[in-house]
Amino acid sequence: MPVMADSSAMDATTSTGDHAASGPRWGDLGALCLTFFSLGVTVNVLVLDRVGSESLTIVAAVAINSATTELAYLAVRDAGGTQLAAVIAGWVVASRFGLLAVSLGARLRVGTWHRAAAGLQSFDPNVTWAIQQRQPRDVVRVFWRATAAMHLGWLSGIAVGVFLGNVIGDAQRFGLDAVFPAALLAIIGNLLRRRSGALAAAVGGGLCLLLIPITPAGVPIIASLVGAVVALATMPEETL
Amino acid sequence: MSWAIVAVLAAGVWVQRLLGMFVGGRVLSRQPALGRLATLIPAAVVMAVIVQLTVASGRSLELDARAVGMAAAGILVWRRAPFVVVAVAAAVATALVRMI
Repeated sequence: MPVMADSSAMDATTSTGDHAASGPRWGDLGALCLTFFSLGVTVNVLVLDRVGSESLTIVAAVAINSATTELAYLAVRDAGGTQLAAVIAGWVVASRFGLLAVSLGARLRVGTWHRAAAGLQSFDPNVTWAIQQRQPRDVVRVFWRATAAMHLGWLSGIAVGVFLGNVIGDAQRFGLDAVFPAALLAIIGNLLRRRSGALAAAVGGGLCLLLIPITPAGVPIIASLVGAVVALATMPEETL
Repeated sequence: MSWAIVAVLAAGVWVQRLLGMFVGGRVLSRQPALGRLATLIPAAVVMAVIVQLTVASGRSLELDARAVGMAAAGILVWRRAPFVVVAVAAAVATALVRMI
């Protein structure tokens, strides 16, 4: 194993190329844009149905910047939960963005304001693609490209969901609810090809599966962090 | 959901993202032994999100059309299919199972 100053950069590269060497291709960014478009439509149709105000739906989507938070809040309210319980559920499910920001923060070599802006835009796809880049400048480039593609899709999805929602009909009938998890799987595909990444995912996913029926919303996602720690502890030297 | 609730939810999400970036991120970048967590955290956390979106229905587990869509996606990711093919195939497989 060659000695490198930045061991995480070494670990982040894969032998397969794909996103690791040059980042996502334009086609991948287009697919990411479409994924967030379908997410924007489906989520905001739901939110508008509950809150009844177009302006509040749009502001909530842009300001909160976390579809899972909105859905968790509404799910608890629908189930008869208090405002406080619903808000806490919304915060807890957003903790994954805090964890992803930790990942990105470890690889980012930029100034304070740039870090703050990037931190506030930490999502699954852009962080996962960015941290697979070897060079610090590629981390930044890939992160913002993916962020732009996501927001283009998310914002146009909000517009369509809010103003044309009723013409889309039942999104589930078209399998649109499967697009987001499938896209996430494609995005972590390279991480899963390494034994440490596969172990982290297996433990994290398995723990989540066990905890879904017995813990409140959001907790299974936070607990999945254990998978990363287990992989770190049991495979300290793997570089593949 | 009111304007005040939107503000409170947004504040909680913003604070967590900034804490992750400025506190957690700094700790990881200064501790080489922990540096690899930067790639392991997304693998674990994103897989948990995938599991939740695929088999959870509230707090119960359900194997339905989504699982078929994700199985199709899994095979395609393993075969290194392009991103857009994976996403479309998952939607089509899920929709087909729901039609049956």
